Amino acid sequence: MHEGAITSQIVENVLREAEKRKAKSVLEVHLEIGKLMFLNPEQVRFWYQMLTKNTILEGSKLMIEEKEGVVKCPKCGYQGDFKYINDDPAFHVPTPTLNCPKCDGTVEIIGGKECLIKKVKMLI
Amino acid sequence: MNIKDVIRAEEGEIFDIELDENVLKANAKLAQQNRELLLKHGVNSIDVMGSIGAGKTSLIEKMVEKLKTRYRIAVFKGDLTTTIDAEIISRHGVDVIAINTGKECHLDANLVHKALKRLNLKMVDLLFIENVGNLICPAEFPLGSEKRIVVISVTEGPYMVVKHPFIFMDADVVAINKVDLAEAMEVDVTKLGGDVKKINPKAAVVATNCRTGEGVNQVIAALKL
Ligand SMILES: Nc1nc2c(ncn2[C@@H]2O[C@H](COP(=O)(O)OP(=O)(O)OP(=O)(O)O)[C@@H](O)[C@H]2O)c(=O)[nH]1
Ligand SMILES: [Mg+2]
Ligand SMILES: [Zn+2]
Repeated sequence: MHEGAITSQIVENVLREAEKRKAKSVLEVHLEIGKLMFLNPEQVRFWYQMLTKNTILEGSKLMIEEKEGVVKCPKCGYQGDFKYINDDPAFHVPTPTLNCPKCDGTVEIIGGKECLIKKVKMLI
Repeated sequence: MNIKDVIRAEEGEIFDIELDENVLKANAKLAQQNRELLLKHGVNSIDVMGSIGAGKTSLIEKMVEKLKTRYRIAVFKGDLTTTIDAEIISRHGVDVIAINTGKECHLDANLVHKALKRLNLKMVDLLFIENVGNLICPAEFPLGSEKRIVVISVTEGPYMVVKHPFIFMDADVVAINKVDLAEAMEVDVTKLGGDVKKINPKAAVVATNCRTGEGVNQVIAALKL
């Protein structure tokens, strides 16, 4: 739902970087996006194409690496995937919780909310 | 030292530039500035999130009625294009600033920052920020508020919570509204509250009816107001 807003930020940031370096064109943009950002990669690509038209980013390749959600328990040190609840037989999608899978602690989200421009390949 | 050759990239050369740039950094930074500004002026701030039509405005109205003798209250109201909610709330005699987000489905720290500049913060003790009705996006765009409340209602059916777990992970308080309609909707309010507690054991869950005001005092207590 917020792909438009985020992608325009991405394009803006890359353009600024390219201008700073007086790049002739941008060939590749590498993103790292956490799955907890709920960005649909297809929609990000669609927006990217729209927003880069008539810029030095036009036609550049967009590489998206998706990152899984990671939680950490401050109490027992557990680090990894969420604990899921799935107690409604009619409902097959497991629901993540902040309960620690190992102890009775409450975990913190430490990964999966990334939204990074990792690397840009440009012709300078 | 002898330099054998100097290579110049006259025709243009391809460079890999490692950026590692956080796209949401700008929002996070502004959110932090908003928080500091509010703290400096002793303004308590509450972000009101939740689904479309769940009762966010109604809950703010009820809280304003109960709290306006104790606090000087201001309300920011994010809406796509209209000022309907802002007008409804301003009837209660508090300052309301409408923030039109245009096509965006959420408020962001920059919009809130602009609204804060319009407000005489010395004259405010408590700020409610009603976000655009949405259970997915607002959580990625912190505004800088002190606490977050999520409002859902039984009319959205029994699976609203398990379908949108992440918005509840960031909530301090969750109001399950329109409990007067629970029976007609065949929704078990206790089960819905249990789902919230399983997802986020630290959230306070309150059942409310914002028509009658039932549960509003508990929401106020849970927000420590
Ligand atoms: N029956 C019943 N109706 C309610 C309750 N709370 C709110 N409503 C009604 O639900 C409708 C929507 O309420 P609002 O407070 O405008 O909801 P909102 O979340 O602010 O809506 P948006 O800002 O448009 O997303 C209004 O007609 C309210 O009168 C409740 O507890 N019970
Ligand atoms: Mg409203
Ligand atoms: Zn643990």
